[in-house]
Amino acid sequence: MIIRPVRHADLPSLLALAKSAGSGLTTLPADGKRLAHRVSWAEKTFAGEVERADADYLFVLVDDDEQVVGITGLAGAVGLREPWYNYRVGMTLSASPTLGIYRPIPTLFLVNDLCGLSEVCSLFLRADQRIGSHGKLLSRSRFLFLAEFPQLFSERIIAEMRGVSDEDGKSPFWEGLGRHFFKMPFADADYLTGVGNKAFIAELMPRFPLYVPLLAASAQSVIGQVHAATRPALRLLQNEGFAHRSYVDIFDGGAVIECEARQIRAVRDSQTLVLAIGTPAEPSVEYLIYNRQLAGCRITSAPAHIAAGSLVVSELTARRLRLRAGDPVRAVALSPARAATEENN
Amino acid sequence: MSAWIVRPAHGEDLDGLQRMARESLVGVTSLQDDRASLERRIERSACSFGSAVAFPGEEEYLFVLEDLASGALLGCAGLQASCGFAQPFYSFRHEVFIHASPAQGIKHKVHALALCHDLGGNTLLKGFHIAASLQDDPAAQLISRARLLFIASQPQRFAAQLVAEMVGCTDEQGQSPFWDAVGRHFFGLDYSAAEALGAFQERTYLAELLPHYPIYVPLLPEQAQDVMGQVHPRACRPYEILLAEGFAGERYIDVYDAGPTLEAETARVRSVADSQRTTLRIDAAGATDDAPAWLVCNEGCASFRALIVNSNWLPERPLTLSAAEADALQLNEGDTLRLVRL
Repeated sequence: MIIRPVRHADLPSLLALAKSAGSGLTTLPADGKRLAHRVSWAEKTFAGEVERADADYLFVLVDDDEQVVGITGLAGAVGLREPWYNYRVGMTLSASPTLGIYRPIPTLFLVNDLCGLSEVCSLFLRADQRIGSHGKLLSRSRFLFLAEFPQLFSERIIAEMRGVSDEDGKSPFWEGLGRHFFKMPFADADYLTGVGNKAFIAELMPRFPLYVPLLAASAQSVIGQVHAATRPALRLLQNEGFAHRSYVDIFDGGAVIECEARQIRAVRDSQTLVLAIGTPAEPSVEYLIYNRQLAGCRITSAPAHIAAGSLVVSELTARRLRLRAGDPVRAVALSPARAATEENN
Repeated sequence: MSAWIVRPAHGEDLDGLQRMARESLVGVTSLQDDRASLERRIERSACSFGSAVAFPGEEEYLFVLEDLASGALLGCAGLQASCGFAQPFYSFRHEVFIHASPAQGIKHKVHALALCHDLGGNTLLKGFHIAASLQDDPAAQLISRARLLFIASQPQRFAAQLVAEMVGCTDEQGQSPFWDAVGRHFFGLDYSAAEALGAFQERTYLAELLPHYPIYVPLLPEQAQDVMGQVHPRACRPYEILLAEGFAGERYIDVYDAGPTLEAETARVRSVADSQRTTLRIDAAGATDDAPAWLVCNEGCASFRALIVNSNWLPERPLTLSAAEADALQLNEGDTLRLVRL
């Protein structure tokens, strides 16, 4: 398996992938025209032809037959071209010292606080490929890229996690809040934002803060929660140092997690090495290995070991990366030491 | 001659008032079943009736309805010359926000409630209570409207706008669906406990506890939305009386139970606009009972009295009353009085 930038030729398999994702993945709507547009932006991005505000580093995970089985993305910045909205879960105090009443009231504030930040986004892995280390490769490969080109990204990185929805795709948060203001089904609103139509959010959303206890209990209970299917992705990012502070998605209430770029484990711990071809030592450790190129980016995960400034990999791994002995690479253990056991279970 | 008279409350009314406070609905905040607070209200009222007043201020007037034969108290009603004078007077104002997205062809009206003290400075009609047996009797009009005749006689004591808070809906257990959906979250108290605070405390806690951001109505549970602007079934009588007087209540609701707050321009209220002054003539042979009924009051302040009489009175003529009626009104031949049709 290899992570590489998306190409125009990937479009048919990308569309099939988007269709299998269903609603909720706002950045990958199953719309051929829109996807083609996105791919061309990604190609321009890797070619260095766009500003950070428009940069869309979209990678695909392909097997040895060049079939796309997953996607993963890094946005240069959210909300620099059009506003980016989140709710900040803040606090309003209802307190009367004379009466001995002290009630902290969680309150949702509609904010643009995260505008300008880079976002890890668009992660999707075909259901039949959610095995082995594919998920980790897909999620964490982005951080090696980020470690290599920090100037292309913000100092703080965010990730919006898909919020809770039921079997029918109904989001309790949307039912309890957004529906009253948009008067359209969640999937429609979701689609409109997915295709970049964000102005209507500002036009229709409530502008004043919302007292959480006044929302339906079912909506309250999912604020800052993530969809069951997203929990593995959340755990991967948490193990990299991401944490939920105070931001949630305005549609489904899903957690927005964040981390300082240089504090991300795979950024902080990654090393620049030269490639050596040999037999990785036993017991083998799985490494994320990156060829350090921008447009020609190739990242994989494979058993390897570090010896005297060299990363020793098998010949097959070197061939997948299209590298020869002596070429520069950036590498980091696929899983943090303390999380390796847990993640492998 | 009617069986009842309306007069300012005095110290001996304490027992009767406390009994009425016990019978009254939760939500008639100004009538608390608490001896000390009722005593204070009587004192404040006596003091207000007894003072020379040039403009509305902190005065509060408490009127009682007395059974002339037995001396029993059957109802009461109050006036606060200027609500919000000493303590802020809060209401929720209905707001309609327009949320429009031209590109999507969407234009929504969003209903919200905004905390305000728009009504501060107006004269407040409050503390209405009438014995259950007299609900549908003219006595209910007498006690409610005698206040308005008093305002007509003493305009300098009152504001140009009148407001009246109507008790909102509560269920059989005395719980308010609106309070449970809104106020409870901010106070951590149930409805009756919160209502009781009003009588004993400085009201600064309202500023500390009430929600400062608008409340979006569509987000509230249906039961809470349903009672907004609705009057408690047992408070329908005072509501109807005031509607007939020209009061209307579309703009504001109570912050606790969402009962409507009625408003009227003082000068346009029926008992003020239509009441007339004339002089008294005493004649032993009073009018027959089938003659039209009138609300009559003297124009005194501490000596204020009002009652219902039957008379074939014609404008610009003196009003003929029996000696007993004149006596009840504490008036002598030739004195001025004010009257309006019941």
